[in-house]
Amino acid sequence: MNDRARAPSIELARVVRTYGAGSADEVRALRGVDLIIPPGEFLSVAGPSGCGKTTLLNLLGLLDTPTSGEVRWNGDPVGRRTDRARARLRLEGVGFIFQRFYLLPTLTARENIELPMRALRVPHGERTRRAARLLEEVGLTGREKAFPHQLSGGEEQRVAVARALANEPGLLLADEPTGELDSGNTQAILALLERVRRDRDATLIVVTHNPEVARAADRHIVMRDGLVTEDLRGT
Amino acid sequence: MMRWGRRGSLRHSRLQLALAVAAIATAVALPVVLVSVGSGVASHELANLQNAGYQIVVSAAGQHGITHSHSYVERILAMPGVTAASPVLSVTVDAFAPSGSVAPVLAEGVIPEQFTPTLGPAESGLFPSPLHLGDPTDLTHFANGTYAGPATYDALLSSPYAEQFHLGTGDRIILSPVDNRTLGTAYNVTGVFGVPPAVLGPTGAFAVLLPLSDLQVMTGYAGGSAVAVDAADTIQVAVAGSVATDPSALANVRSSIQGLFPYYGVSSLSQEAQQLEAASGVLTGFYLALSSVGLTVGLMFLALVLLRRVEADRRSIGIRRALGIPGRSIAAEILSAGALLAVSGAVVGVAAGYLIVEALAAWATSAVQEAAQLAIFDPVILGELVAGVVGLSLLAGAVATRNALQAEITEVLR
Repeated sequence: MNDRARAPSIELARVVRTYGAGSADEVRALRGVDLIIPPGEFLSVAGPSGCGKTTLLNLLGLLDTPTSGEVRWNGDPVGRRTDRARARLRLEGVGFIFQRFYLLPTLTARENIELPMRALRVPHGERTRRAARLLEEVGLTGREKAFPHQLSGGEEQRVAVARALANEPGLLLADEPTGELDSGNTQAILALLERVRRDRDATLIVVTHNPEVARAADRHIVMRDGLVTEDLRGT
Repeated sequence: MMRWGRRGSLRHSRLQLALAVAAIATAVALPVVLVSVGSGVASHELANLQNAGYQIVVSAAGQHGITHSHSYVERILAMPGVTAASPVLSVTVDAFAPSGSVAPVLAEGVIPEQFTPTLGPAESGLFPSPLHLGDPTDLTHFANGTYAGPATYDALLSSPYAEQFHLGTGDRIILSPVDNRTLGTAYNVTGVFGVPPAVLGPTGAFAVLLPLSDLQVMTGYAGGSAVAVDAADTIQVAVAGSVATDPSALANVRSSIQGLFPYYGVSSLSQEAQQLEAASGVLTGFYLALSSVGLTVGLMFLALVLLRRVEADRRSIGIRRALGIPGRSIAAEILSAGALLAVSGAVVGVAAGYLIVEALAAWATSAVQEAAQLAIFDPVILGELVAGVVGLSLLAGAVATRNALQAEITEVLR
């Protein structure tokens, strides 16, 4: 088992991401983004559809590599590492909460939460204890044996949050985590993410259109046409 | 192992899996049947060779091609280490029973005291000992090639023939080289001999055993303007035990005999056994090559099923990769799923092949049944077959794995 991963200091330097380069369908999703995110910061990202928010999140979480420019963690250009090395960093240090949850349909809620721990070879007893605690934290005690198709949207979202926290990551990335939730569930998820960030000194980066989430963040950036156009500190 | 595949498509998936297992099982069953029966028959023939009472055979091209067989026997017998040299002449003749029935029989002319020592353990119990064919050396009638001595006119009958025509010791039959009783010669039945079991060769179920010189005279192979003199088909040579078990001593005897007959073929049974083993190996390879066509189709089907499953689970695989689960874990999962299918198919195929052979041994007709009864299920060959199938399935799985791991994670999750 890894020790709790420390939140990295993240730096994006002139990051460009182009899809379908050279083709008629070429899309420049990011056009040279410079961004520094200190450890433990709660950053919210907003902007119109297609402005590059999800691309930015994918690059920050090492799911993708920049066409040019650099992604650095603690000064280390991790964006240039091999697929295998980036996968290891994701497994140990990054928790993803995807917009569409992306739970595995053939696994129960508990198995979904245990999946990253299994990959990290967390011992069975520790895995079970941690999964039970996470289920309790997200308010799903008693629903551990339910499959995703047996869960409501809010419950699926909470399982996704619990899975993202399973390996106690230093960096938590969430893409519209409250997009499909009602006001009550939005508050609950927000409170949970805030608590996790605080308790674990994790960096939290949330792509959101929700002003409540943006208000709760330490820092709020707005993107437009692949560039960061506003960078606001919270109060 | 993690489960993969969508719950809703499980039924469809199960059908695909069952078909993949069935395809591989069918492909494996064929070589199991061919190889087990083929090696069983070869092994049986090999055992017959190894259990023969003689170790060296002199043969000539064509039938009845050895001339001066009586004198050659004398010269072979004079060689050190040789214990018996038995010329054999085989000719089909017509046998007329006292009842008037006529049947073609295989007449074998032998020298009685030379023939008996060349019988193997399986055969020796089938013949009376000594053979009741009058002069043990056949030299009296032969009379130095003049055939002027008195013939014994004694004959031994095979038990199937004797039983068919209700003949026994003391009866008389007429043997003729042509379908004409009046041109035949009358023989006294002096005994009956059993027929050794045979699987693929002629059984010679209707047969008579005569002194060599008698058969030569009856069929014209004693000598004449158009036929060989004192003819025989083969001379079977038995050697002393110490020579038989020493390959170099046996080779020396063989080469001495070859020196006597540079124009005839002289081979030792160990050579023939080696040739048979080599031929059996070639046949086994041929069976496996033939079966590889079915095997290839089965494995292509398996690759297709794996590719379809990977395609169906593209997003699940992408999610796992996004979470940081190592590609090798995902690959191992796909490969192990393929290997599990292949092992299942191979095990079912081996079992099916075994059952088919058992069914043939129980219910097939004549030669097929006898061949199936001899089948040998060699665990080494079966193990290699299963290992080959699993190895190839891993190769097929590798294609699916490569496909699964090459896609961009962000594309898959889009």
